[in-house]
Amino acid sequence: MPREAEISLNEREFIKQALQEQIRLDGRAFDAFRPLELTFGDEYGVADVQLGKTRVIARISVDVTTPLPERKFDGIFQIVTEFSPMASPAFEVGRPTDAEVILSRILEKSIRRSNALDTESLCIIAGLKCFALRADVHIIDHDGGLIDAACIAVMAALQHFRRPDVLVEGEKATILSVREREPIPLSILHQPLCVTFSYFEDEVFLVDANLAEEQVRQGEVILTMNKHGEVCQIAKYGGATINPLALLNCTNVALQKVKEMTTFIQKRLEKDAKKRDAGGLLAELSAENAR
Amino acid sequence: MIAPEVTLTHLNRADGSATYTHIGYSIIGAVNGPIEVQRRDEQPEDATIEVNVRPAVGVGSPKERHLETLLHNTLRSIILTRLIPRTLVQITLQIRSLPEEDDSTGVNTSLTILPHLLHTALLALLSASIPLRTILTSVLIAVPSSASPNTSSTPLLSPTANELLRAKPVRSIHVFAFSGDRKLLLNESDGTFSYAEWAEACEKAEEVCCGEEEEGGVKLDEGESMELDGQVQEESLEKWLRGVVRRKVEWEQRWKSAT
Amino acid sequence: MATLATLVLPGDEIPHGALPKGTGKKKTLTLGPGLRHIPPNTVATTVAGALATDDKKNAALVDYNSGRYLPFVGDLVIATVNGSAAENFNCLLTPNTSPATLPHLAFEGATKKTRPQLPPNSLVYCRIASAGRDLPPELTCVDPSTGKGEGLGLLKSGMLFHISLGMARRMLAAKGGITLLDLVGAKVGFEVTVGRNGLVHIDGGNVKTTLAIGRAIQEVDQGAFGDERQKKLAADVLKNL
Repeated sequence: MPREAEISLNEREFIKQALQEQIRLDGRAFDAFRPLELTFGDEYGVADVQLGKTRVIARISVDVTTPLPERKFDGIFQIVTEFSPMASPAFEVGRPTDAEVILSRILEKSIRRSNALDTESLCIIAGLKCFALRADVHIIDHDGGLIDAACIAVMAALQHFRRPDVLVEGEKATILSVREREPIPLSILHQPLCVTFSYFEDEVFLVDANLAEEQVRQGEVILTMNKHGEVCQIAKYGGATINPLALLNCTNVALQKVKEMTTFIQKRLEKDAKKRDAGGLLAELSAENAR
Repeated sequence: MIAPEVTLTHLNRADGSATYTHIGYSIIGAVNGPIEVQRRDEQPEDATIEVNVRPAVGVGSPKERHLETLLHNTLRSIILTRLIPRTLVQITLQIRSLPEEDDSTGVNTSLTILPHLLHTALLALLSASIPLRTILTSVLIAVPSSASPNTSSTPLLSPTANELLRAKPVRSIHVFAFSGDRKLLLNESDGTFSYAEWAEACEKAEEVCCGEEEEGGVKLDEGESMELDGQVQEESLEKWLRGVVRRKVEWEQRWKSAT
Repeated sequence: MATLATLVLPGDEIPHGALPKGTGKKKTLTLGPGLRHIPPNTVATTVAGALATDDKKNAALVDYNSGRYLPFVGDLVIATVNGSAAENFNCLLTPNTSPATLPHLAFEGATKKTRPQLPPNSLVYCRIASAGRDLPPELTCVDPSTGKGEGLGLLKSGMLFHISLGMARRMLAAKGGITLLDLVGAKVGFEVTVGRNGLVHIDGGNVKTTLAIGRAIQEVDQGAFGDERQKKLAADVLKNL
């Protein structure tokens, strides 16, 4: 079975030594993210996130199905992550690695179970018809920080997505195509984002570790928060012990980072909306709808 | 015909990569290799080739498996597998976006995407410098139904999804792939057609892929098309491919003339 | 701007006029990477790149700078020790490739009783002794004619940096013209080891120096810096140290 190549002893020692001297390999501060880049596709609901050399694409798609019998008033929302050999030869199709399982679990907890998306708004006719929303996460390039990048991608894609409008007449629902009526944005209740802390000896906590740093670290703590400072989940899968006070400090750092990223995503969404609205077509269409 | 847009070697992790965008299709291709092959897949005299096609939405279905088989068989004939025995060449093709009208054209969607997948795979292989016997170029040709059964209608060359939609109903579609030395590598056809129609489509495809037949076989172009700046319409897909490679080589050798 | 080299795509047949004439001392034509001989007398390319010929050595090759490193006899590489078997170490030249072998006795002064001990994941600077498609590549840390190490062997401390294969070739070439290293080296002492497999090992004695030099090399690589810009970069590096 293919495995990720291990980092050499020299590199391991050097990274540790450098961290003791308060230096990161790429010259970043301990609590700094790599340069973040976010672009949207031509279609609604495609977000392409680049975090340093890591690249993740999230894509939202929608379908109509019957709701689950035990949740008649809810639509369905599903996040699918499958690694491909594109990101690393160590990833095999159909055989999830630990990293893949952790990523999908964290996204599930952070976004789905924290009710970031109002699934009730996806219901068309209770018990009969609902929208099934699906977020596909494609890992294109892997240089560490997959969880943070994937979370940004999914949240940005969700905010960018527009679902088709429906016309309900009694038991009959008609899906209106994009040409018939302007599609509508999803109802997002809050915007959780992940910040991963990698920790090393002597209580050194790094934000957004790259792959080399991830291979050297003693363990990781993944925090998910929204900009209001509400913690959605904290995960620490084994690894060396940490001081609870240090964890508190992490939440403070995370809040600041989440606020920055939320603003960044917002700005990019606005920029994209402006680009789409070239010529004021959108305003014209919405005026028509209002009549 | 509009030349496809290509970005080469833009991924950091994969050994070779290419993003290919053409008439609404956008595909990211990555190649890893030659790398260690798993024991069960090892071949004593040949390299093992693994092709993964990943759809934009959802996980792979039989359609993707079918495409993988077609790609595998075609690529196996151009990769010099004997030069790198007992290794693995891993080709991953991630479909990023499809034209909006792709589903409603009424023709086999696994054929409409096939030329684009082939081109992406080839470009990624070139970027990974995997030893190849030759290059390949591929094109889709659609034959719409004509008004009267006696007259044949003009075949559409590499039609966009929109053109297919307007030409509905389409009677048959054909995908052809040619090697650098004008040999037919792959042909997939769907629909009803006569042999004459097929032969006409094949001839036309060869012209688009390899250009007009010229005497003396392949000649090395020694800068006679230097003015080519990527925007110019390329006459054949082979010329287009040379243009792409020229840009790659210029980029790699720019340090020689840098200050 | 330099004249553009002859562009080749896989499968192109090289006309005899484009090959070296064989007027030099060596009469047999040597085909380098990217070219293959199809009997009886056709030479065809296998990769995309620029055709380069050397009349003096009577050799032709295709110059390309992308893809994974492929071992060739005589190349100097930085290998990572993966494990130790009965007679040899298993080393990796690039991640996820099948291991190359480095015999326990291929070190300076090594005997059956005094074998070198190399822990897994340590780095070794070695030369490729044999490479063929039918056997795993074999590495050596001694010059077979003298039995001396000649600077090959275990790389201690320092840091590894990834560079492109073309940059590695450029650094290893006799007149490579990496002005940066000459200029910085005049003021600061450091050790640099270049592996043909796209790796460079720097030991500047302390973290700051090592990192500064390593990053500068990567910058020269990515930006394709010529002499002028290297001089400027070298000045910047020295100022910050």
